[in-house]
Amino acid sequence: MSGIDELLLRQRLLVAIGPGGVGKTTISAAIALRAAELGRRTLVLTIDPAKRLADALGLTGLDDRIREVPTAALAKQGVEVPGALYAAMFDNAASMDALMQRVAPDAETRDRVLQNRVYRAMAGTLARSHAYLAMERLHEVMNSGDYDLVILDTPPARNALDILDAPSRLASFLEEGVVKWFVNAGSKGRRGLRARLMQGSGAAATKLFEVIVGKELTRETIAFFEAFYSMREGFHQRASDIQQMLRAADTSFVLVSSTDATHLTDAEALASGVGERGVNIDVAVFNRGYERLTHADPLAIVTSAGELDSPTTIRLLFQDELHHHEREILTSLLSRLHEVREQAAGSNARALESVARLRKLLPGDVLALIVARLDGDIRDLPGLHALGPYLAADRSGL
Amino acid sequence: MTASPTSLLDRRLLLFTGKGGVGKTTLVAALAIEAARRGRRPLVVELGHRASLESVFEVETIGYEPRPVGRGVHAMNLDFESALAEYFEEHIPVKRVARTINRNKTLQKFFHAAPSVPEVATLNKLSAIEAERGSDGEPRWDPIFVDLDATGHAIMLLNLPAVMHGLIGDGPMRRLVDGFTTLLTDPTRTILSLVTLPLELPAQETIELHQRLVGHHEVALGVLFVNQVPARPLTPKQAGMLDRLEHRSRELGRTTLVDDVAIARRAMRYHANARGQINRMLRDIDMPMVELPLVAGRALNLDTIAAIGDKTLALLDRGQQREDTSVTAMPRR
Repeated sequence: MSGIDELLLRQRLLVAIGPGGVGKTTISAAIALRAAELGRRTLVLTIDPAKRLADALGLTGLDDRIREVPTAALAKQGVEVPGALYAAMFDNAASMDALMQRVAPDAETRDRVLQNRVYRAMAGTLARSHAYLAMERLHEVMNSGDYDLVILDTPPARNALDILDAPSRLASFLEEGVVKWFVNAGSKGRRGLRARLMQGSGAAATKLFEVIVGKELTRETIAFFEAFYSMREGFHQRASDIQQMLRAADTSFVLVSSTDATHLTDAEALASGVGERGVNIDVAVFNRGYERLTHADPLAIVTSAGELDSPTTIRLLFQDELHHHEREILTSLLSRLHEVREQAAGSNARALESVARLRKLLPGDVLALIVARLDGDIRDLPGLHALGPYLAADRSGL
Repeated sequence: MTASPTSLLDRRLLLFTGKGGVGKTTLVAALAIEAARRGRRPLVVELGHRASLESVFEVETIGYEPRPVGRGVHAMNLDFESALAEYFEEHIPVKRVARTINRNKTLQKFFHAAPSVPEVATLNKLSAIEAERGSDGEPRWDPIFVDLDATGHAIMLLNLPAVMHGLIGDGPMRRLVDGFTTLLTDPTRTILSLVTLPLELPAQETIELHQRLVGHHEVALGVLFVNQVPARPLTPKQAGMLDRLEHRSRELGRTTLVDDVAIARRAMRYHANARGQINRMLRDIDMPMVELPLVAGRALNLDTIAAIGDKTLALLDRGQQREDTSVTAMPRR
C-alpha cells in the first residue's frame, strides 16, 4: 500500500483545498476514482467542473443531484471498479435555495426568504456564499451514511480558508447585535425596557442605513434578516457539527497546487492559515509538476542529457547513408532536441525546488505526490484512471 | 463594441480580468511601466489584497494610499474595508458617527454580508481616483490600470446597476450607482481587457465571459491578451526526420535520444494544443488579440517585465498580433 491508497481506505472525508486554476477538480475526481477502484463507495462533490470532465462524470444536468458515474469505459480496458463512484456538482443559487428549504422552520418563513429580493441578489451573485454552501452540502451527505468516503472539492474562494470559517461566521453573524437591531426595528409591538432600548438603537441603525442605501433596500434587508433570524438555531447546530467533522481524525486535508510561482505563493498562505486553525494537511499534491521522461515510465523525471555531440551521434546512427541536406537538417534537429530537453530539465529542477520549499512549511509527515504535466485536458474516466500511478507514488523522498 | 487596440492607453480606466494564475498582474505591471516610460502618470490598482503586486514590484507593502513602486509607476491596494470606511466618512455628516460605524466589528460584518455593498464601496473609490485632479487641473493619474482579481469580480462590478435596480430609491446610493454606470459604459473613458492562457479551460471560460459581456453589458472591450504562448519547438523539416531518428535510435539502443524524441513530440503537442485554443478564440471572440510568449524560467525581474510592456505596446501600436506575424495578419476590427 503506497501513496494515497492507505488514506483512501482509512478516512471518511478528504477535503481538497488550493488556489484556483491548479486542476483541483481533476485531482479530486481522480482520487475519488482511485478510491472506488480500491472498493470504496465514494462520492466526489465538485464545483463547476470543466465541461469535458463534467461529461466524463455524467454531470450533464444543471441541478445538483448525486449521480452514479458509469464505469463501463474502464471495464472495457480491463480496469475493475469493485466500489462505486458517485458525483454531484454544486450550483450556487440552487444549493442556497435548497438550504433555505431545509433550515426554514416553516413554509411561510421559507417563502419569505426565497422571494426576498435582497436574498435573491445575495444568493445569485455573492461568491462568498460558496464556502458556506460547500460545508452545508457536505454536512448533508456525510450524515446520509450512503458513502464510505467523500471527497470535497472546495470552491476556488479568494481565500480558501473560508471553508473553515464560513459555518461559524454565518451562525455567529445571526447572533450579532446588528441583526437583532434590524429584526427588532422591523417588528412591532414588543414591550419592556430592553426591547424598547433595542428598538431605539435598532431604529437608529435603520435610519442610518436608509440614508446611505435608500428606503426600499433597507425595507427588504430588514425583511430578509427577520426571516433569516428565525433559522438561527438550525444554523448553529450545523455550524458546530461541521466544525467537528472538519477536525475529526478520519478527515484529511489535501493541498493541491501547481508548481507555478503564483500558485505556490497562494498555497503557502493557505497552508499556514489552515495550520493556525488547528487543521493538519496530510497530503500535498503538486499537479502539472514536471515533464515526464517517457510514456513507458510516467514517474521518471526529465533531467539534463549532458553534452551534445551531433557529428558523433550522426555517425553512430547513420554512418554515411545521409544526403548532405539531410545531414544538415538532422544536425539542426539534434540541437533543437537538446534545447527542448534542457528547457524541460531546467523547469523540472525549478519545480522540484519549489516543491521542496513548500514542503518545509507543511507537517513533516505530509505525503507529497507529484503529477506530471499531461498532453491535453482529461476528458474521460480512463484519463482520470491514468493519474492513479502518480497518486500511488509517495515522492516525499525527492 | 471593440476599441482600436492602439488607443488602449487613451482611456482613463483600463480594467483587466482573467482567471487567477494567468499572469494578469505581471501584464498590468508591464503595461504600466511602459506607460510611465512614455511620459504618463500611471496608477495600478489591485482589487482585493493578494500581495501579488508587491512581489512583482519587489516592494514591502502596497496599501490603500497610492505609493511610488519604481519606474515611474504608482500602485495601491483597493481593499473593501478601507473603501467602505471612506464611503461612510463621505456620506455621514457627523464624523463621530462615521468613525463609530467604522470601528464597530458587528456593523463591518453586516456590511460585508449586505448585498453589493462591497462593490458599491469599491466603485465609489474607483470613481474618486478617476476624478482626482492635480493643482494644474490635469488628472492626477493617467491612466489607471485596474487589476480585477477574477472573472467573477468583473461581472459583479458590471452587474451592480442591474442588481441594485429597483432596490434603491433616490438616495445618495442611487446617484453613485448612476455615476458608475456612466463611467463604466463610456467607451472613451473605460475599457475592459481580458487575459487568458492558450489552454482548453481558460480559453473556454474566456469565450463564455466574452459572450456574457457582449450580451449583457455595455462596457467597451479592449484587447484579449493570450499569455504564455509556447514557441513552435521544431520546424516542419526537422519534425519530418523525427521518425527516422527515433527508429534508428531504438535499433541501436540509444535510449537518451529516444527520450529526447518523446519529449520533443510532447512539446509539439503542447504547441499544437495552444494553437488550437488560440484559433478557437480568434473565431469566437471579436477582440484584437495579442500573444505573449512563454518565458522560460518564470523568475521575472523588473527589466524583463519592462521589456514585455515595451514589446506589447509596440505590437499594439503596429496593429500586430505577435512578433513573428506579418502585418497582413491584422487583428480583426
